[in-house]
Amino acid sequence: MTRVLPLFRRNLADTWRGLAGWTAGILAALFLYLPLYPSIAGNGQMQDILESLPPELVQTLGYDDITSGPGYAQATFFGLIGFVLVTIAAVGWGTGAIANDEENGQLELTLAHGVTRGRLYAERTAAVLVKLLWLTLVAVAVVLVLNEPAELEIPLDGLLATATAFFGLVSLGAVAAIAVGGMTGRRSWALGAGAGIAVYGYAVNALGNQNEDLAWLHDWSPYSWAYAEDPISEGWVGLIWLIFAVAAALLVIGWLVFRRRDVAV
Amino acid sequence: MTESSAAVTTRGLTKRYGSHTALHGIDLDIPRGRVFGMIGPNGAGKTTTMRLLLDIIRPSAGELHVLGENPRTGGSSLRRRVGYLPGELHLQARVRGRDLLAHYAEISGTVRRGTVESLADRLGLDLGRPVRSLSKGNKQKVGLIQAFMHEPELLVLDEPTSGLDPLVQQEFHAMLREAKAKGQTVFLSSHVLSEVQQTADDIAILRSGRIVKLSTVGALRETAVRHVRVVVADADVPAARTALAAVPGVGEIAEAGDAGATRSLQTTINSHVDAFVKAVARFDLVDLTIEEPDLEETVLGFYGTDETATEGER
Repeated sequence: MTRVLPLFRRNLADTWRGLAGWTAGILAALFLYLPLYPSIAGNGQMQDILESLPPELVQTLGYDDITSGPGYAQATFFGLIGFVLVTIAAVGWGTGAIANDEENGQLELTLAHGVTRGRLYAERTAAVLVKLLWLTLVAVAVVLVLNEPAELEIPLDGLLATATAFFGLVSLGAVAAIAVGGMTGRRSWALGAGAGIAVYGYAVNALGNQNEDLAWLHDWSPYSWAYAEDPISEGWVGLIWLIFAVAAALLVIGWLVFRRRDVAV
Repeated sequence: MTESSAAVTTRGLTKRYGSHTALHGIDLDIPRGRVFGMIGPNGAGKTTTMRLLLDIIRPSAGELHVLGENPRTGGSSLRRRVGYLPGELHLQARVRGRDLLAHYAEISGTVRRGTVESLADRLGLDLGRPVRSLSKGNKQKVGLIQAFMHEPELLVLDEPTSGLDPLVQQEFHAMLREAKAKGQTVFLSSHVLSEVQQTADDIAILRSGRIVKLSTVGALRETAVRHVRVVVADADVPAARTALAAVPGVGEIAEAGDAGATRSLQTTINSHVDAFVKAVARFDLVDLTIEEPDLEETVLGFYGTDETATEGER
């Protein structure tokens, strides 16, 4: 008998080990970095170190505001280590949704059953996004727990805004992998698209940080749409919505091609 | 035959991949309740045809109806009425057979309680083991079970016995006979004739994307080549040769000396068994052998024309 969302549940059942691993990774990163804030950034030594570094490096890493609690959480986790970790998970899951399944030959048999391609595409996308949402929520929860003990003083509004931006940013990498997988069925293309969009966003943002003449580059980087206006301190600012709009557009294009093309050739 | 009474109908079904044409407009009619076998060498277009029926790939031209519906528009409700075994079966490796089949049951037609277990019993499959630990033959059993378990109106089986041991093949043939008795239609492919010969009513021989022969197994057997041997006294050899040569459809006559004063004449005949027997009846025969018709040879004949045709196309 058909119960609800069989493909969604199958995807979660097949990947829960990975999800548990990534959850542990996120927890480890947060618990390693955040409690260090009072000792590293709070006493002024960090400022001295930053001043001795080349300003280009500081701007590339997004460490310009690292001496404030929100700036520290942003620069270490949401903007760097968390972004890298969860993007890797996102691109892996996104590649697995269609392209990997197609290349290893399993997609053919699933599609020969009583499911439409649109349903398969939607349920597997939903499964990937739910896992990314989970990792984001884990991060939010840990930040809330450590906010006081680590003297971070992150406003709730700012935390939710930057977490939303973070979720959008990692989802964009996943969605790019899903959509390109849906269009081509090729693992390497899907992986390249997901990783490429993440690296592209980060690199263009870092270039835009270098000087005023290059600041216009921020208009073209999803990473800048998410973080350039400093949502963790300022709240709901910037172009966070644009990330979701681009992700949605990519998904639709991927679906339109996927439902029309030959599978497993 | 009307379209609604046929399980599968194709007209001018064509599939092109870029400049390569995999199917050159084939016409097929598979009546309901029949076992239809498709044979052909590797790359003849068998898998392409089957994937078209399941809407995994889409035709470049031509018409296609499965159980009266177009696979493109029939969608998931049509595929629930079909059971499919892919030629290259790849299964999710980490789950147990039982869980994988439960998943396929969720996205398939209704599976009656106990069906999966009884099929697994018949085929001798342990459902509790993870799929990755199963041998190729046992994975194939999982594939067969997912194709049969919802008792679909149409079974599309691409090289179904690949990897199965002879005993399990026997059981599979019994499953086919039962399916046929229940009115299910079976469309199966193979690159060896013997498999199709044992199970199918109708046969299509495919080569290079074209149907070169559409027949029943019975009719194919009638026209098949038979090897014959007559042993006559030395003195009768010239007369026997003349008589044999007059039989319609006779092949090259080979002669071999036997022990003593006899010689054996060997040749091939096709369907004219009666003419052959009457032609040799007037001699004093020491021995007479008519072998079982060799369908494999007949089919290889079709494969052979395939190769020359392929050479010509290049």
